[in-house]
Amino acid sequence: MDDPKTLDLVKELVLRLLSTRSPSPSGDPSGDLPHALRYAHRLLSSRMSPSLAPDEPAMAESIKRQLAVSGRSADALAFADLHSKLAARSGPGSVRNRWALLYLFKSLSDDRRRADPILRAPAVGGLPALPLDPHPARPTKKALASSGGVLLVSKDPENIREIALREYADLVMEETEVSESALVRDVLYACQGIDGRYVRFDKASDSYDLPESLKLPRSTRTMVRRLCELGWLFRKVRRYITESMSQFPAEEVGTVGQAFCSALQDELSDYYKLLAVLESQSLNPIPTAGSDSGVPGNYLSLRRLVVWLAEPMVRMRLMAVLVDMCRNLRGGAMAGAIHGQAQHGDPLVQEFMGRLLRRVCSPLFEMVQSWVLEGELEDVFAEFFILSQPVKAESLWQEGYRIQSVMLPSFISPTLAQRILRTGKSINFLRVCCEDNGWADASAKAAAHVGTTTRRDGLGYGETDALEALVVEAAKRIDQHLMDVIHHRYRFKDHCLAIKRYLLLGQGDFVQYLMDIVGPELSEPANTISSFQLAGLLETAIRASNAQYDDRDILDRLKVKMMEHGDGDRGWDVFSLEYDARVPLDTVFTASVMKRYLKIFNYLWKLKRVEHALIGVWKTMKPNCIISCSFAKEGPVKMQFVSVLRRCQVLWSEMNHFVTNFQYYIMFEVLEVSWARFSEEMDAAKDLDDLLAAHDKYLNSIMEKSLLGERSRDIIKTLFTLFDLILRFRSHHDRWFERINELQLRGRGKSRSKSKEPGSWVDGGRKAMIQLAREFFRIMDEDLDTIAKEYSASLDAFISQLPMQQHVDLKFLLFRLDFTEYYSHLSSSK
Amino acid sequence: METEAARNAKESLELAFQMSNILETGLDRHTLSLLIALCDRGLNPEALAAVVRELSPPPSKEPISYSSSSRACLYQP
Repeated sequence: MDDPKTLDLVKELVLRLLSTRSPSPSGDPSGDLPHALRYAHRLLSSRMSPSLAPDEPAMAESIKRQLAVSGRSADALAFADLHSKLAARSGPGSVRNRWALLYLFKSLSDDRRRADPILRAPAVGGLPALPLDPHPARPTKKALASSGGVLLVSKDPENIREIALREYADLVMEETEVSESALVRDVLYACQGIDGRYVRFDKASDSYDLPESLKLPRSTRTMVRRLCELGWLFRKVRRYITESMSQFPAEEVGTVGQAFCSALQDELSDYYKLLAVLESQSLNPIPTAGSDSGVPGNYLSLRRLVVWLAEPMVRMRLMAVLVDMCRNLRGGAMAGAIHGQAQHGDPLVQEFMGRLLRRVCSPLFEMVQSWVLEGELEDVFAEFFILSQPVKAESLWQEGYRIQSVMLPSFISPTLAQRILRTGKSINFLRVCCEDNGWADASAKAAAHVGTTTRRDGLGYGETDALEALVVEAAKRIDQHLMDVIHHRYRFKDHCLAIKRYLLLGQGDFVQYLMDIVGPELSEPANTISSFQLAGLLETAIRASNAQYDDRDILDRLKVKMMEHGDGDRGWDVFSLEYDARVPLDTVFTASVMKRYLKIFNYLWKLKRVEHALIGVWKTMKPNCIISCSFAKEGPVKMQFVSVLRRCQVLWSEMNHFVTNFQYYIMFEVLEVSWARFSEEMDAAKDLDDLLAAHDKYLNSIMEKSLLGERSRDIIKTLFTLFDLILRFRSHHDRWFERINELQLRGRGKSRSKSKEPGSWVDGGRKAMIQLAREFFRIMDEDLDTIAKEYSASLDAFISQLPMQQHVDLKFLLFRLDFTEYYSHLSSSK
Repeated sequence: METEAARNAKESLELAFQMSNILETGLDRHTLSLLIALCDRGLNPEALAAVVRELSPPPSKEPISYSSSSRACLYQP
């Protein structure tokens, strides 16, 4: 309609219309022409479109009928005649779009008659137009498109639609034996687990179904089956609840299980409410197809039921899944399993599971809270992830409580669980072992700090952060308190230091005295030694050394311990010192720890004894300048003596070199270094576990570095061979020097008698003595040879084994022993 | 002299005009010829009816004289 011709025509029309409207004397309609023209354009380009399909004969028929009805039958005949004439015309100049023209006439004539007082039923000239019906006579696309968005409101006076619908309803009724409302009622019964009139539970197929004999359309049957799934799920859930509830007194279910059941029960009661509403609605009659007026809107058909029950179905299905999953689970495991299902993207499911979990987890959270804040394990049904075992006070910390990983729900991380465990354990430890009540303040402060009170209903599922905060805070304060108690009230560090000084021979003067005093006693066979006497000697050693200034409480704990002894054991083999660590420190110094201390003590004691023996050798060897003088006159004997003596000294100094360096290594690179690290870690320790770990590390490093570890079994054997050789050297040496002294005395006696009464027998005696001495030196030389040979072989073995040790500090020992590379040269030259 | 087409058009217009009079639409010849032309050009008859309804004088007035048409053959098919 945009082409200029059309526009011209429109303008002409408007002008014409205006001129006929205003027959005013001015006669100039051009004043309001632009306005009218715009208006006409707007009307023409509007989306107004005929609501009828273009059908010329129908339209003509309608007009005729209308004329006839209004009592103008002559006009009607004339109109029909005119129309047939018009229709007969063809070719150029004839009216082509006759339907449009007729429509226009009719429309205008209807308008004229609008003023009539009698409202006639609007006549319709044909069937309602379908929106997308392509109009063959419409040349422009715009007109086509404009017909798309029109709402078609029209009525068919002939009731064709109603008739068709009624026929359809009759058809449906023929197929159906049962009315839909009966089915709806049955489905509602089935949803409550009750058999209905038609819908019954079939045990064989384990489902609700309609009897096969019932004549129903297939779609209805499918819909009923689909709806009855809800009934099946409901039965499952309800059975679980009743079973659990009936088991309850037999302690099978547990608090978490009970909470779960009650949460399910609540969900079911919501479900019952919905069913009640639906049931009341189902009493409204369902309109039969065809009659669509005069019925209330809120009736319930099967289709509506499907919509209503869609959400409960999802929920019920979830519950059934949970019920299946939790059948054999209890406590924390159950909560964990439900939590696993809650990881779902659907907000409906998430919300539902969250609600359920809050209920289910509340007993667990209560338990955590009372455990963390009061150290009480209120776990009648063994559902909590912390398990207590009846143990003695000393092993309460180590074995008293442990985590049951099965019962640990996955929303509590293992580290958090450890922390929870330790906090409660600390409280119990304080209560049982330390008899301390200060923890109550600490836990109250912690609770106040976090913001939740010690009331029960503080925390719930989904507040894992809050729980963590609470646990962390409580743990911090209680651990702090525990550390205070252990350090200040029980003076942990002092005891560690005492153990280091006495059991690890850190107090040099004390050890020296003790060795001096008990040495002779310990050389006796083990079965003849009385431990009381040794205890007395220990006391003497304490009094004689600086140890006397130590705390009385600590010294009282130091005791002599005689180990089990067999035949032929000497006192050296069974003697040891013991430190009595009382409750609560025996949590750190347990029996096994003390055994390790004992092992270290024995080792160090042996080392000390060897060192002591070597010093003893030195003591007797030193005044030998006198001895050498006594053999001054006999040249060959003296030569022999001097050479033996020199070899003896060389061997001694070799041994001394080894023992001194080894001793140095143990004292300074093992004990002191480990101690320094331990005391650092001890100060840094935040809780008892840290402290235990630090202490364990300390002991381990001592064991490892001083060759007492598992991996240095071979080398320790070599070391003990070396020690034995040194001790043998010592005993040989003692014997030799006894003989030498004896010879010396005799020689002196000889020389004295010689000066008084010289005689020939003296010379003979002298000769015999020289013979004797020569023989002795020979034997001594041989003995020395064997010892020296064995010693150097063992030392060689030791030094060659040393680099194979794992610990890096042992390398330093090697450097120390073989500083000049003498031994490595020796072994390589062999 | 009138061509065949013009004659045909004129007769058609006459027929249409008579129909219009029977239906009491109140249109004159000239207006009717314009409307026929517009209808033949595919314009929406409902919209055209609306234009006529809006712009023509109210029906309560004196009937419009039908004799004023002198330019009936103005439109070209």
